[in-house]
Amino acid sequence: MRARDLAEIVPTATRDTTGAEAVHIAAEYRLSALAVVGPEGLPIALLPGSQLLALVVPPYVRDDPQLAHVFSEDAAEEFCGRLASTTIGALIDEGMVSVKRLPAVGPDDTILEIATAMVEHHCPQVLVRDADGAMLGVVTLSRALAAIARLAGEDSPGLRTRLDVDLVDLPNLGHTGQDSMDAAAVSPADPVQRSGGGPNSGGGTP
Amino acid sequence: MTVTAWLALVVFVAAYALIATEKVHRVKAALGGAAAMVIIGATRGHSAFFSESTGVDWNVVFLLLGMMIIVGVLRTTGIFEFVAIWAAKASKGRPFRMMALLVVITAVASALLDNVTTVLLIAPVTILVCDRVRISPIPFLLAEAMASNIGGTATLIGDPPNIIIASRAGFSFNDFLVHLAPLVVVLLVIFVGLCWLLWGRSLHIDPARAAALQGLRGRDAITDRALLGRLGGVLLLVLIGFATHTVHHIEPSLIAMLGAGASILVSKADQSDFLREVEWETLVFFAGLFIMVGALVEQGVIGQLAVALTGAVGDQYLAAAMVMLFGSAALSGIVDNIPYVATMSPLVLDLVGPAEGLPPPKQGVWWALALGADLGGNATAVGASANVVVTGIAKRNGHPISFWEFTKYGLVVTVVTIVAAAPYLYWRYYA
Repeated sequence: MRARDLAEIVPTATRDTTGAEAVHIAAEYRLSALAVVGPEGLPIALLPGSQLLALVVPPYVRDDPQLAHVFSEDAAEEFCGRLASTTIGALIDEGMVSVKRLPAVGPDDTILEIATAMVEHHCPQVLVRDADGAMLGVVTLSRALAAIARLAGEDSPGLRTRLDVDLVDLPNLGHTGQDSMDAAAVSPADPVQRSGGGPNSGGGTP
Repeated sequence: MTVTAWLALVVFVAAYALIATEKVHRVKAALGGAAAMVIIGATRGHSAFFSESTGVDWNVVFLLLGMMIIVGVLRTTGIFEFVAIWAAKASKGRPFRMMALLVVITAVASALLDNVTTVLLIAPVTILVCDRVRISPIPFLLAEAMASNIGGTATLIGDPPNIIIASRAGFSFNDFLVHLAPLVVVLLVIFVGLCWLLWGRSLHIDPARAAALQGLRGRDAITDRALLGRLGGVLLLVLIGFATHTVHHIEPSLIAMLGAGASILVSKADQSDFLREVEWETLVFFAGLFIMVGALVEQGVIGQLAVALTGAVGDQYLAAAMVMLFGSAALSGIVDNIPYVATMSPLVLDLVGPAEGLPPPKQGVWWALALGADLGGNATAVGASANVVVTGIAKRNGHPISFWEFTKYGLVVTVVTIVAAAPYLYWRYYA
């Protein structure tokens, strides 16, 4: 199996996406990481789930994790509310979000290269990019693990579904199937965009 | 001087310039300088590693290492966060009262721990408190950085320059308590007054926001009370060990290492946890610095300077102390006070001699060096490690403090505290 076979289309964020919208997208589509694309449609960051979680942790609590214990329930939840008033772009500019190294593989890369990229970057998702840097899709952790399980001789309907059906097309996501994709992609005012330039353009269904 | 001595001086000045200008990281500059000293033949293995006067002063390195491990274990208890939140709540929303309490807590903690550790612990909780009441934490952070430098002056373990002076001169923990702590108490009172003038009178907290402080659960910061009790006991024993040096004659470095071992035992901490808290960069920096300065001693450069200085000073020790006080303050504001004191200590040792049996006028020169270097660190944002750490934390939290913003307040505090220290030195050692 090559990266092009495992790549799937996922919703992405832009610099204008708010922090709240970013975690919304990741939660709704069960993404282990969220890609951020620039105006040209090229990826500029890939935020693993740990970084998305860190968005609600103020830097002073990151400096001293003991301080997380001193907040009341209301005060702790207040930090989540603050995500609505900040954008991914602002977080990148403030250094709250790291954009230094993009975990990426080429379309012909093997499962070993995909796994290595995930391990090396400590990121549960890798971008699949062509020679021009255009994003063809992503390989998610669950699909990479499903591929590894199949290659290790495991099999089940669930495993096959994870390999054959993209995350956005899996049932019981609140929205389902193509409707949800369209809902995520259509409005110009909506910062949420699909990766890969259009529906199914990155492959994903072998 | 020999050719090697001149070469050693050139290497030293070049490395010092790199450290002062931060052209390269200070660890690289110190290690590069030490390597160059070996290459030019200014020092050799025996001098560098087995002589505290011409090489690494392991007493300093291990005292720092021991205290770093103790503090690394102690900080996991949450006691510092608890005390700082208690202070914020006790202020009942009055900003100057909050600032004064945090300043006193920082100064006292700084006397018992090193300055960098103290501000690393106090700065995040200060930003938290200010965030809750929606005021800028910058005045508080500036006051705390300066309070840590003032408080650290009081004890042997409070500030790295004091550790170097104690080791080179042979001063005990109690010597620092007797000679510097009384002055530091006075300076702290003066500093709190300065805080009012510089920041306190213009601070305001919205009463509606002040109520948010009462919702903070400081007690929850303490995750293991039994461990806190055990570690508190260890720290108390370490301090008693320092204070009773004249009875048992165990060096402070060994007391600190025994305390570090005891902390690890009572906390059952994993080595990866307590070793992570050690600032290895600082320890390596000290080692490189000691080898560089030691090479100057070995080559007779320091001795030559001391002879010239002794001729100039004669028996005018009051003038020497005042020049040392004001000169050290000025230089420490420009360069990190650690390399400054590492260089000056062997010079002062040649000039006035070791602590034992030293008459007060000569002793005053040593204390002038400590006061000048410690208090002078407040002058600029790069004058002391604590300042650098605080400005870094402030920036990371979206409250950048520019070099000049720090300096405009730091200069005032430095001038006032140094001018206040001068009559103390005169009254104590020369009147």
